Amino acid sequence: MSIAHRPSDETLAAFAGGRLDEGLALAVAAHVELNSESRRLVHELEAVQGALLDRIEPVAMSTGALDRIEQHPASRHPTEPRVVEPGMPAVLLPYAFGPWRPIGIRIAMRRVEVPGSQARVFMLRAGPGIALPHHKHTGFEWTTILSGAYEHEYGRYAAGDFDEADAEHDHTPRVDPVEGCTCLVAMTGNVLFQGWLGRLLQPLVRL
Amino acid sequence: MVAAFALNVEDMREASAPAPGGRFFALFDANALIAAIARSGDRAAFVALFDHFAPRVKGLLMRGGTPAELAEEIAQETLLTVWRKAALFDPAKANASTWIATIARNRRIDIARREARSRLSQVYEILDEDGPEQPDETISGAERDARIRAAMTGLSADQYRVVELAFLEEFSHQDVAQRLAIPLGTVKSRLRLALSHLRGKLEDLR
Repeated sequence: MSIAHRPSDETLAAFAGGRLDEGLALAVAAHVELNSESRRLVHELEAVQGALLDRIEPVAMSTGALDRIEQHPASRHPTEPRVVEPGMPAVLLPYAFGPWRPIGIRIAMRRVEVPGSQARVFMLRAGPGIALPHHKHTGFEWTTILSGAYEHEYGRYAAGDFDEADAEHDHTPRVDPVEGCTCLVAMTGNVLFQGWLGRLLQPLVRL
Repeated sequence: MVAAFALNVEDMREASAPAPGGRFFALFDANALIAAIARSGDRAAFVALFDHFAPRVKGLLMRGGTPAELAEEIAQETLLTVWRKAALFDPAKANASTWIATIARNRRIDIARREARSRLSQVYEILDEDGPEQPDETISGAERDARIRAAMTGLSADQYRVVELAFLEEFSHQDVAQRLAIPLGTVKSRLRLALSHLRGKLEDLR
């Protein structure tokens, strides 16, 4: 099978620090949920922050410890069981979705509403064997494959993989001929399409 | 940096907290303090924990460029969350500093992005609740945290600074480059080097 594709260390560090744009962070989060190696690395990077916290120069607080806790009893927070749609990562649950909308033959998309994000976030579902249009980016296009697979100039991307494309990449993804592909995409900047399918994708990426 | 670290560890050792109400914590043992809050809402334990961690959370945020007033508010909210969620702390999963650092991250997102109605902290919480990271995991989270501390003492001052900014600054290497007055390519290569150094150390330990 394919080699697992994972985010760069810098991206995971920014993610672990809570420093990514929310839409981009969501694409990373879906991958982290599906990939145990990245999950371990995120936990390690969180531990790095714990170490930073221990080493930092303290800055005196002007408010005291007990100012606020009076109104807040120490309490257990039982977590409610979450209902996850099959094929949908749990990290998407806090967000609202649009309906699945066909944007071509055997291609459909569904917007994920991420208020405050500079990125457009959407799920994309493409039937077996479809070639997505050749395109370049002016910003980021970060993709987590939720099911199925696609392949392009930089390798084969299967369920759980992360495809971290930026302005340096241009590619022509081809969807797996048997399984098709569903993925979560976060996109910033513009996408420069070549070919007829690009026009179909225009409403999707607001060119 | 290494010296500063040693100093802070000493601080922690010396910060034995003779708590009002007759209790006495011989060492600063954050795990025990959190356990005391979870068990009985122990206010003395909370004061000791607050006095140690709130100024550090504030300091860390300010290092990342958060204004003092906002950093103070986030530090308050962070410790308030520690108070409310003490029962959820699992010392086998992570040490207290790591747990509190992730709470600070989430509260910072909630507060800094409150106008955008950000839900990102919920995303982190969902990931955090998700099952075991590796079925073959042989070391505990607490052990891993201790090893990471050891690995970080091997970073040069430059590397430490770049790693710090990678976590603390909004995601823009350009900003880091300007702040440190070094070329962007250098920031990226230093960051990669520092992270791969850490990663190498951690892999040795696996």
